[in-house]
Amino acid sequence: MTRRVLLAVSAGFLLAGVQAAHGQRGSERGFRSADLEPCDAHHDRGRIAQAAECYRLVLRGGDPAAQAEAHWQLGDLKSANDRFREAVRLDPENPDLRVRWGHLYIHSHQQQEAATLFQEALEIDEDHIPAQLGMARVLASRFEGKAVELVEEALEERPRQAEGHLLLARMALEEGDLEAARESLESALRNARDLGMAPLETYSLLASLEMLEGDPDNDWVSKALEYNPRYGEVYSDQAHFYVITRRYREATERLRRAVDVAPRLWRAHAELGVNLMREGHDEQGRRHLEIAYEGDPYSAKTVNTLRLLDTYDRFETFASGDPEGPEGPRAFVRLDREESDLLLPYVLDLTERAIAEFSAKYQFELQRPVRVELYPNHDDFAVRTMAMPGIGLLGVTFGYVVAMDSPTGREPGGFHWGTTLWHELAHVFTLESTDHLVPRWYSEGISMYEEWKADPRWGEAVTPEYIDAVRKGELLPVADLDRGFIRPRYPGQVAVSYMQAGYVCQHIAGHWGEAKLVELLQGFAKDRPTGANIREVLGIAPEEFDKQFGAYMKQELGAAYDGLPRWRRRLKAALEAAREKDWEGVLEPAREAREAYPQHVGTGSSYSLLASAHNELDNREAAIEQLQEYERRGGRQPATLRKLARWLEEAGRDDEAAYTYHGLLYNWPQDEETHVRLGELYLEAGRTALARREFEAVLALDPLDRASAEYNLARAYVKIGDLAKARLHVLRALERAPTYRPALQLLLQVKR
Amino acid sequence: MIRRQIPGLSLTGLFAALWLAVPLPAVAATHFIVVEGLGGTRGYTERFRNQVEKMLPVLRRTAGRDSLVHVLAGTEATGGRIGAVFEELRRAVAPGDALAVFLIGHGSHDGRHYKFNIPGPDFTDDQLKGWLDAVPAARQLVVSTTSSSGGALETLKSPRRIVVTATRNGRERNATVFGQYWVEAFSAASADTDKNESISALEAFRYAESKVKAHYADNKQLATEHPQIQGERAGGFLLARLGAAAELARDPEKRELLDQREELERRIADLTLRKDDLPQNEYLDALQALLLELAELQERIDADGGSARGEKQ
Repeated sequence: MTRRVLLAVSAGFLLAGVQAAHGQRGSERGFRSADLEPCDAHHDRGRIAQAAECYRLVLRGGDPAAQAEAHWQLGDLKSANDRFREAVRLDPENPDLRVRWGHLYIHSHQQQEAATLFQEALEIDEDHIPAQLGMARVLASRFEGKAVELVEEALEERPRQAEGHLLLARMALEEGDLEAARESLESALRNARDLGMAPLETYSLLASLEMLEGDPDNDWVSKALEYNPRYGEVYSDQAHFYVITRRYREATERLRRAVDVAPRLWRAHAELGVNLMREGHDEQGRRHLEIAYEGDPYSAKTVNTLRLLDTYDRFETFASGDPEGPEGPRAFVRLDREESDLLLPYVLDLTERAIAEFSAKYQFELQRPVRVELYPNHDDFAVRTMAMPGIGLLGVTFGYVVAMDSPTGREPGGFHWGTTLWHELAHVFTLESTDHLVPRWYSEGISMYEEWKADPRWGEAVTPEYIDAVRKGELLPVADLDRGFIRPRYPGQVAVSYMQAGYVCQHIAGHWGEAKLVELLQGFAKDRPTGANIREVLGIAPEEFDKQFGAYMKQELGAAYDGLPRWRRRLKAALEAAREKDWEGVLEPAREAREAYPQHVGTGSSYSLLASAHNELDNREAAIEQLQEYERRGGRQPATLRKLARWLEEAGRDDEAAYTYHGLLYNWPQDEETHVRLGELYLEAGRTALARREFEAVLALDPLDRASAEYNLARAYVKIGDLAKARLHVLRALERAPTYRPALQLLLQVKR
Repeated sequence: MIRRQIPGLSLTGLFAALWLAVPLPAVAATHFIVVEGLGGTRGYTERFRNQVEKMLPVLRRTAGRDSLVHVLAGTEATGGRIGAVFEELRRAVAPGDALAVFLIGHGSHDGRHYKFNIPGPDFTDDQLKGWLDAVPAARQLVVSTTSSSGGALETLKSPRRIVVTATRNGRERNATVFGQYWVEAFSAASADTDKNESISALEAFRYAESKVKAHYADNKQLATEHPQIQGERAGGFLLARLGAAAELARDPEKRELLDQREELERRIADLTLRKDDLPQNEYLDALQALLLELAELQERIDADGGSARGEKQ
């Protein structure tokens, strides 16, 4: 939808008061009419009634750009949009008008439209500093590294400004580089004073800076509120940085203050609503989101979150353990009713196992039950992660609330829900045991490490991109590793940083012992910075740690460190031979490819090729060996793993087949055959409770052959010794298929 | 405590069970026509040939007589030859008989007509309709496993005909996998959802449909075919007898026991119809009593004849 249409179709609304948008409106964000200055002065000081009266007077003038600004400040965004359009029509070569219009779009949450207008301004004047800065603001809001570059260029061109310094400060704060942020803010403060600009945003960021240094109620908060008693942004900015550092409880408290000071600060209401939901307080969250929507219907975040709340009646919540018992439940699982019968046993089991294991290892008892939410519709889950830095997320943890995609919402093999849930539940412990003070890199590192520890088949395998980053020296120093998560400098840096963080933890556990991981966590709980914590706990300078880690990484990668070119070459030869069905010809290049990069288990892995070749050459044992190695290294293609399980069954290796089928449950639980076969193998092995679970899962999948599914469940109940349930299920089987002989025989057995 | 609901027997499931259990009017004979169209490439030619070869012994067993199964493949599958076979059947088939036609190959749709690819001029859905309409069999089944086959659905519609196609319409033009699973259904125990050791057209369709869906999901491909079924009582159109059922059907000595079993099945069907009117325990007890009777009868059937029995693989 174009910007023109979008605003035209939205209901126009005129608020009695003045919109909260303060300071820095001047030439650094595009030139504005001098007629607005007295109004802005009232506005920046929080004299709302006077400001509104003044802006209304501007509306009577003949300058459409000034009228647009006045409409904007009065809260009538539709009219503001119309007047900007008219102003641009009358003066199409004026880049400032487009920049101002772009900022209106930023205000109304339409970053892409804003970027288009800034780009148009730059096409008119490629050196237009406000347009460059506007573009940088859009990129910064998306956590894109290019933003820094643009701002630095603008500052080089025009050093005497506040906007560029403020943008740099904001980004430095997001990355946790407090020293750089302070430097930028001092420049911003000096320049704002020299240029006669309102210092509110500078005060606000200084207040955030000192909050991140441990003093939330610092002098800058007071200064901002003295300057403008209605300046709620000072608190909502602080909340933003708390959210970035995943301190949601503290963010909620700041946002409550923001809306107390400025009840019309709609985005603070929206943030408060979303944040309350992150803490599991859905109804309180809804109230603030509804207030936000009334005042600002343009926010996709508000609208989508309200829509998500409306879908919650489709979900059902289940408690783990015995909620009536003395300890109460340790977790709640929220699942879509359509899939709860299938997923619940597995999700509960894994959640309980993770809680038990992490409680012991990290010496932390949960203070309240964890809530795990699985969304079959990815868009619903995506609403939960909106405006958060990171790559295409699979799961997210907000302290005691974990939200993630459900496996049924994804393609088979594309999403390993087991490893994802394990990863997120590790976050619950790293976040809560440190009161959310753990740096992002360490929390992610522990989660990655715990995935690898939980099961050799889980976690991420080393990618060529990571190997390239190691070889090119692109890994970040451990003390700066957080930067790789917030604002990546090159494509793929976030994924590389995840893996690096995992390996850092693995290296620490291997070299210093796992107990040091816990000690580091305890150090972070004391708000110790990464460098100091490494020094204190490991007794080594962070720079020295980086050197050691480099050597460790090279050793860990082994042949793959410099094997990628050979791997690509030999894999290509093996694939070509396979295409020609020259199975003998596949063996040698595939073996060489495997030796060059043994960690590769992605599409077209040498293990799969070797397995196919051996199988075609009637060497099933060798084929199985290849696929077992593929599985052990984290290969996840369901069709390949199912083939392995079938081959193992055919070879009479039932225990190994059951291991493989069991692994598939965490990858592709909606596969009927896996449950049926696993149920049979469990039944055969006398593991009757597990067999029952698998046959119940088959029924939950609403199978075509329901009679067999009921019959199998009845067999499991017979073995368990629960003849009443066995009778019920065999009757259900026969009700559908009265002449089903094995079921008739079972009925006779049950009744005799 | 975990809040969970124990799933009950769904009405849909119950109706499906009844539908399949209700005896259908006996047919004097079922005539089969299998047409294997052009493959175009060696791969497709082999694939179509395999499908036909797998299907034929099953159909012959179901028909009871080889002469009731007509196969047109390779150079034989011309429009003229196909028309001649239909003409022969027009004269030979009685109104009480059934006719099943299987088209294995490639198809196309020109926006107006579906065409089945054969040597020489392709035949159209209109031609096929003409041939079918002329055969007096009161129960007809037409299955086209080809690309674009859904384009024939409207033309072939008839109160006495079940039509199965691999695609939803004529615009689904990619080569299909439906045929492979349709044929697989004839010998798959899991396709026999009512466990009567026979595969009906409805069971084969549901099996193939679910396999097609899984095929595209497993291969992470966008589904380019959406199988369709049209017409009534597909659950009563017998396509294949499995294992013991095939042998029993040929054993006249079993007739009396089989009649008794049929009577019991009828009583069970009556009972399940009244399920919602009865308290659950009463219903289950009554159901169990009938089923135990059936189980004992089945033991006698199995013991007397010495036929191979046991769970199907």
